[in-house]
Amino acid sequence: MGVLTDQMQFSNVKIINKLQNLKATFIKTGIFLSLAAYWGVILVGTFITFN
Amino acid sequence: MEVFLPIAQVFVNPVEILLLSAIVGVLSGLFGVGGGFLMTPFLIFLGVPPAYAVANEANNILATSVSGSTTHYLKNTLDYKMGFMIVIGGTIGTALGIYTFTYFKGIGKIDTVISLAYMYILAIIGTLMLVESLREIDREKRNLVVKKKLHVHYWIHGLPLRMRFPKSKLYESIFTPILIGLLVGFIAAIMGIGGAFILVPAMIYIIKMPTRLVPGTSLFVTIFVSVIVTFLHSFNYGSIDLMLVLMLVIGSIIGVQIGQKLGEKIDSSGLRALLAILLLVVGIAIAYDTFFAEQIQTEITGVSNSDLNFFSTFILEFSKDMPFFYGLFSILFAVFLGVAAAFIRRFVSNFKKKILVKS
Repeated sequence: MGVLTDQMQFSNVKIINKLQNLKATFIKTGIFLSLAAYWGVILVGTFITFN
Repeated sequence: MEVFLPIAQVFVNPVEILLLSAIVGVLSGLFGVGGGFLMTPFLIFLGVPPAYAVANEANNILATSVSGSTTHYLKNTLDYKMGFMIVIGGTIGTALGIYTFTYFKGIGKIDTVISLAYMYILAIIGTLMLVESLREIDREKRNLVVKKKLHVHYWIHGLPLRMRFPKSKLYESIFTPILIGLLVGFIAAIMGIGGAFILVPAMIYIIKMPTRLVPGTSLFVTIFVSVIVTFLHSFNYGSIDLMLVLMLVIGSIIGVQIGQKLGEKIDSSGLRALLAILLLVVGIAIAYDTFFAEQIQTEITGVSNSDLNFFSTFILEFSKDMPFFYGLFSILFAVFLGVAAAFIRRFVSNFKKKILVKS
């Protein structure tokens, strides 16, 4: 019984860690996409202005 | 309440200018960055034409860098020899910058060039700062320690004509500081900034100066660069407006003091990401203004000379009749304000120490 509780707790920690990693990945992807969009606007704007 | 700027020929709200320059001053004091690359876009947003915003911000930077440099002079944290080498490059760079400025002003594209230059500079600095601060936060979370190389050699270190710089304990080619100064001078002349955001990392990572000498020497170089920029703008275009300069200097000097005090009390490394986001937001606002906003015709204010007060009439006539002396006067005015601020700061800190000792 005790072994099973320990295993469940261990898997809970693993799930939480995975969720945290997933959250960090989402945030990083969001920042990367925002920066890409930002630079896209600037570069396209410059291109249009000079044409 | 609005004030008419006799040289820039626009009405501005002095409270807004004082408040914004104080906020930018706080950010400069807190993060150790020059405020030029934020204040000039703010002036443009407030309706000051870009060519005037650049020139007047350069004069404001002169006052704040004189104030900061006097403090470092009193603490003996300045490398004059290295500073003069950078100034040589800075002088050539400024002359090239003014030449470029004149060219674009001649073809009527100077406002677009200034806006684009700001947009790209803010976007680059904002992106680098954001990435670096996020990495820093990530490392702190994971408790990672990054081992850095003690010496990284670039092609710039292989340049000839080496010279000793005893104060920095360096044996460096004279071309290294001259090339860095050239870049800083060129950018300062076109954008009306001090260039500390290039100078400081270049002094630390490329020249490899001791960190304690970097802020003072950077401010020392900025004095000369901004003197040349102010004088050339004033003499060539008569674009220095002492009324605007006075407001900018008062706001930024008070703001810098508050920022430095705040910096001693709070850890600003976490706030660096916020500054990066602010830079990116200002950058995109300029982009919107340049690319997408409909061209709004600047309202012709139609204020005749007889409607101006004594101070405005004096500034207008002085700049028109004697541009050379007006340029010199603008420089001396900023230097006087800067030195006065430094001595007031020293007096206040000595006074506080005396009170603390007594209590």
